[in-house]
Amino acid sequence: MTSRAMTAVRALPVWLTTLILAVLVLPPVAWILSTSLKRDADTVAFPPRWIPDPFSSAQYSGIYTTTNLRFFSNSLILAIGSIALALLICVPAAYAATRFRSRITETVMTLVIVLAMVPGIVVFIALYAMLVGTSLINTYPLLIVVYTAMISGQVILFLRSFFEGIPLELEEAAALDGCGRRQIVMKVVLPLIRPGIAAVAVFVFVFVWNDFLVATVLSTSEDMKTVQNGIVRYITTGYGNFWGLFAAFVVVGFAPVLAAFAIFQRWFVAGMTSGGVKG
Amino acid sequence: MSATTVEAPPARPGGRVPEVRPPRERRHVWAYLLPVCVVSTLVFVVPLLFTIWTATHDTKYYEIGAFNGLSTISAMFADDRLLSQVLITLGFAGGALVIALPLGLLSAIALNRVRRLKRTVRSLFLLPWLMSQATAGTIWLWFLNPNFGPATDLTNRLGLGSTDVFSSPGPAFLAITLITAWWSYPQAMLLFLGALQTVPVELKESMQVDGGNAWQTFRNVTLPFIRNTVVSVAVVLLMLYVQMVTIILVTTRGGPLGGTETLAMRTYNQMFVGYDMSGAAASALLLFVINVVLTLVAVRFRRRETL
Repeated sequence: MTSRAMTAVRALPVWLTTLILAVLVLPPVAWILSTSLKRDADTVAFPPRWIPDPFSSAQYSGIYTTTNLRFFSNSLILAIGSIALALLICVPAAYAATRFRSRITETVMTLVIVLAMVPGIVVFIALYAMLVGTSLINTYPLLIVVYTAMISGQVILFLRSFFEGIPLELEEAAALDGCGRRQIVMKVVLPLIRPGIAAVAVFVFVFVWNDFLVATVLSTSEDMKTVQNGIVRYITTGYGNFWGLFAAFVVVGFAPVLAAFAIFQRWFVAGMTSGGVKG
Repeated sequence: MSATTVEAPPARPGGRVPEVRPPRERRHVWAYLLPVCVVSTLVFVVPLLFTIWTATHDTKYYEIGAFNGLSTISAMFADDRLLSQVLITLGFAGGALVIALPLGLLSAIALNRVRRLKRTVRSLFLLPWLMSQATAGTIWLWFLNPNFGPATDLTNRLGLGSTDVFSSPGPAFLAITLITAWWSYPQAMLLFLGALQTVPVELKESMQVDGGNAWQTFRNVTLPFIRNTVVSVAVVLLMLYVQMVTIILVTTRGGPLGGTETLAMRTYNQMFVGYDMSGAAASALLLFVINVVLTLVAVRFRRRETL
C-alpha cells in the first residue's frame, strides 16, 4: 500500500466514530429545525416528513408576540447584568489571588470555588423560602446576584490564568514610573487581559441564557420569566397543535448561543472547561 | 480591615514579589476579595444556614414554627420512598455516567485524530451541550412523542409499536438517563480532549514502531496519562447528575408513579408540590452531604493539576 492509502485506512475508524456520533447527535436537532419550517398541519403529519413541503415561515412569525419578546428582553437584561457584576467582583478577586498570594487569598479562593459547587437546587429553594414574602423575589437584581455567585468560582479560576500570563516586570516598571496600584491595574493589567474579559462575557452570557431552574424558582410572575421558561411553556401549557411554534422558539432561543460559540469558539471552550476539571 | 498580619507571599517561580509595592497595600487585599465574599455568602452560606434552620423546625406552608430537633430528618429516613429515590438517583447518575464517560472519551480520541474539518466535527459533537438543559429535554420530548414523532415512526416500522416512553416508570427512567447522557457527554469530551493533548506523541509513535496495536497503545500509553482526568471527569459528571433537576423537571417532573424521582427531584417536589418546607430542607441537606463527599473526591484528584 502507498502511504496515502495507509493514511486513509488509518483514518477510517475515526471517521466511522464521527459518523456514528453524528447519527446519535443530529436527529433531534434536525427534527426541530424541520418542524419549525413546516405549516401547522404538516407538523403533526404521520408518518413524519423530514423535509418540510412546502417550506413555511409561519411559525417564526407566529412566535413574534409581546410575551415572547418580554422573555427575550428578560434573558438579555439578566445576562448583561450578570456579566457586569461577575466582572466587577471577579476581576479584583482573581487579581488578588494571583498577585497577593498568601494563605488568606488561597483560603478565600478555595472557599468561593467550593461554595459554587453546592447543588443549585439546595440554594434555590432556601432562597425562595427566605424571600417569597419580600419584594426581592421577581426582581432582576436578585437573579443577577444569584447567577453571578454561581458562576464566580469558574470566572475567577479562568481570569487567574490570564493574570498569571502577565509578566510581573511590566507592573514593576509601571510602579517605578510612579503609577499607583489602581493606575497599574487600569492602564497596564486590564488592557492585557481584554481577551479573557471577552471570554468571561461570552460564557457568563451562555450560562445565564441557558438557565432554566433559577428563573423557574425565583421568578414567580409571568413577566419575569426567561427564554428557557418560554420554551418549556409551549410544552406544559400548550393546547392543540403548538409544536411548530415550540420548534421555532427553540431555534430562535438557541441562535444567540450558537452565534456566540461560532465567533468565540476557542475561548468558549476554554472558559466552559475551566469549571470542569479545575473548578 | 483586619488583615494586617498577612504573611509574605511565597516566592513564585515566575518572578519575584514586587518590592516596589508599599507595605500598606497588603491590607487592601481584602478590598479585592470582599465583593466576591459578600456575594458568595449571601447566595450560598446564608441559604445553607437557613436550610439547617428549617430542617430542624416545624413548618406549615412557608411559615416556620417551633424547633423540632431531628424529627424531620428522622422522618426522612423513615420514609419508605427514600430508599427507592436513592436507588433511582444512583441508577440515574451511574447510568448516565456509564454512557457519557466512554462516549466522551471515544469522541475525544476520534476528534484528536481528525485532521481535516476539525472545527466542524468538534462543533457537531458539542451541539447537544450548547443547548440548554430545558431545550435538550423538550426536544427529545417532541422527538419521542408517541403520536407523530420520528422515533415512533421508526419503532412502528420495526414492528415494536409506539414509543410511549414517558407514560410508564421504567422507560421514562431510561429516557431521562439517556437524554441526560446525550446532553452531557460533550463536557466529558472537552475535558478529555485537553488531557489527550498532554500525551507525548513520541511515546505513541515508539509504541507503534514496536508493533503495538491501537488498543495496546491506548492501554499502555494514553490511559496512564489521562487516568487522573478520567477520575475527575467522572466526579464532575456525577455531581452534575446528582443535582440534575431541569431535564427531569421538563420531561417527567419525577413521574410517572415516582419512577424518575431522584433526590434532587424529591427536594423540588416536596417544596413546590407538597409545600413541605421542612421536609424539603432535610432532603436538601442530604443532597448537600452527598455533594460534599463528591467535592472532596474531586479536590483530591484535582490538586495536582491546578490549585
